[in-house]
Amino acid sequence: MAGILIVEDDKELREMLKISLTRRNHTVFETGNGREAITHFRAGVTDLVVTDLIMPEEDGLKVIIKLRELKPSIKIIAISGGGKAGPGSYLNLARALGADAIFSKPFSTNDLIAKIEELLSGEQVK
Amino acid sequence: MEGQEKKSNKDEYLNFLAKEKEIADRIIDHSRSMISIINRNYIYEKVNSTFCNAHKVITASIVGKTLGEVWGQEIFQNIIKNNIDLCFTGKTIRYEAVFNTPKSGRRFFEVTFRPIADENGEITHLFAETFDINDLKLSEKAASEKEEEFRKLETNLPIGFLRCDREGKIIHANNAFLTIMELQAENLVPDLNMKNFYPDERFFDMQFNNLLECQSKSFGRISLKNGKGREVPCRISGFPAIDEKGVPAFIDFIVEDSSREMMLENRLLQAQKLETIGALAGGIAHDFNNILATISGYSEMLQDDLPRYSPSSEKVSKIQGAVLKAQSIINQILTFSRQVEQEKIPVDVSEVLKETIGFVKSAFPPKIAIRSRIRKRKANVLADPTQLFRVFLNLMTNAMQALEEDEGTISVRLDVVEGKRIQHEINKDIVADEYVLLTFEDTGKGMEPSLMGRIFEPFFTTREVGKGTGLGLSVVHGIISEMDGEILVSSRKEKGSVFYVYLPVSKEYADFEATIGGKKKILFIKGNKHESRIFSLALENSGYELMYISDQKNLEIVMSDIKDRPDLIIYMNDSKHIRPENLIGLFRKLEINTPCIFITDPNQEIFEEKILNSGIVKQHLLKPVSLKEISNAIQISLK
Repeated sequence: MAGILIVEDDKELREMLKISLTRRNHTVFETGNGREAITHFRAGVTDLVVTDLIMPEEDGLKVIIKLRELKPSIKIIAISGGGKAGPGSYLNLARALGADAIFSKPFSTNDLIAKIEELLSGEQVK
Repeated sequence: MEGQEKKSNKDEYLNFLAKEKEIADRIIDHSRSMISIINRNYIYEKVNSTFCNAHKVITASIVGKTLGEVWGQEIFQNIIKNNIDLCFTGKTIRYEAVFNTPKSGRRFFEVTFRPIADENGEITHLFAETFDINDLKLSEKAASEKEEEFRKLETNLPIGFLRCDREGKIIHANNAFLTIMELQAENLVPDLNMKNFYPDERFFDMQFNNLLECQSKSFGRISLKNGKGREVPCRISGFPAIDEKGVPAFIDFIVEDSSREMMLENRLLQAQKLETIGALAGGIAHDFNNILATISGYSEMLQDDLPRYSPSSEKVSKIQGAVLKAQSIINQILTFSRQVEQEKIPVDVSEVLKETIGFVKSAFPPKIAIRSRIRKRKANVLADPTQLFRVFLNLMTNAMQALEEDEGTISVRLDVVEGKRIQHEINKDIVADEYVLLTFEDTGKGMEPSLMGRIFEPFFTTREVGKGTGLGLSVVHGIISEMDGEILVSSRKEKGSVFYVYLPVSKEYADFEATIGGKKKILFIKGNKHESRIFSLALENSGYELMYISDQKNLEIVMSDIKDRPDLIIYMNDSKHIRPENLIGLFRKLEINTPCIFITDPNQEIFEEKILNSGIVKQHLLKPVSLKEISNAIQISLK
């Protein structure tokens, strides 16, 4: 049971993630854009962030940098489905900027949840 | 008185004669020619002072000498004597020769011998005049050298040049023009008109009239009909050659072959088009991936809610199967638009090619002959072996489909070529000293040129709807471009097609750090041996310990060994001797829970949901599987 922030501009996908994580008894916060994710970030109750990379206004890379600044211990998972520069390179950039895990869309939600729980339980070995 | 008068008349006459002789002598002496009188014994009887000056002697030392003594015996015998003998038969002789004179050295002379007859008409002497024509000769030679030089230039110039009369009839054409028009010199008949090469004669008349009005003009690109009836795009300019009356006496044309220019322009256009489609497709794929992630997420949730093996659960599995297929298509689009990161390792192209040929030989109809010539044993490129396999398999499958009634020959070649040699062939920057050149040639039905320009576009297919996605060649294009390589095609209707694949040779060798694998044991349950070999090529260097098994008995032995059990199983669905249900049965019997990755073919429906739902399948991948996908799946499964 942890506080998870979902930053994803696709409403359906965001909702799906929210439902599946709520089912696992996590507290889920959600937002559709990166700027809001940064301005409304509540460090006290958020343990992990799942963020899309290509979004209007502020993109996911900025979210990763900012949230790391605001809360260095936060776990970050980047998800992306491909864009002009290619999902691979964006995701790799996200990893370089400090994302703990990366998932390429479409991913298996079960794999994502497994990863989230692994990160939250502190077993992650880098 | 009378006698005196007579005497004085005679004196006067003699004086007159003497004066006349003096004038004549003076004229002869001052002539710029060497003048002499020669008798039948080849002896000089008289010479003028120009003769003496040229020999730097006085008259007395020449008169009485033979020609042989003056010019040397050899020259006399070889050059002079015949001419003199001929002159004594009564003919005037004129010839040119080089003589050496003490005054000026070797020079060109024109020699004239004229016979002199006595009162009986007998030729006793001849009159010789030798005129220095050296300067004339030199300037003549220079002029002819200049002309020759110009002629050579005009002949060798890669630009077609031709001169027409006022009717348009071709008076002269250089070699380049003949080459461009695929003509032989004998095709240049006198009546050949420039008009004949134009597809539309009225168009020519219009242009020609402009030129007749003394205007030089560049006509841009015009397609001319060449000698073989084919159209050649040419850049044409015309220049009237205006005479002293101000009228064009001739019309000159410059004809440049712009086929290559056009071809490059077309290729650039193609590349830009593919780039645009790629960007567009990539954007769409991005949206679709979001949608698919949502669908797959909800169906996974549903699957968790439903009792295992229930009819509803099987329906959800079908949704998941469909998502997987959609994902595979999107992946192909992304591969084409080069938006999928490829994991590249140094890989020997010849090895991948050999495995592909082996695979194809077992799968293609027996009447299709497959010939291969692999020139280089080891040719490393940086690539994902599974992607290379995909490229080769695709090209060979296309070749097979181009053959009519499943009969014909597919020839595959591998050569290594120098980078600088192919600079003009490929449209990309040369990035390596050497390139692997793969040629895939078929004896099939070939393609129309209009088709050829579009074959790399995604969803472009000549097959009936439902047969093939039309993504094959676009994916091939994407993979090769991602490797900094190039694919080109040439084709002739009813003759067949040739695909050329250029891949930069890598100097890197497969000895980079193998840290990912961490010595985990992977058991590979083989399907087709060639395809399995490709996967192992891909994974061999990742630091995993690979084991291969293709029969049930050995599988049981390996899995029963508790100490040495593999950490992961990769199962390929076309494994002939181990069925998925055998695998599941074994797992149940031994009560083991080793993670499995299943790699299946989306076109083969042999895969039952209950196997996928059995719980042992950790990851399910659809072919084609890239190295990146398989390494990700392995890493996730081993967690």
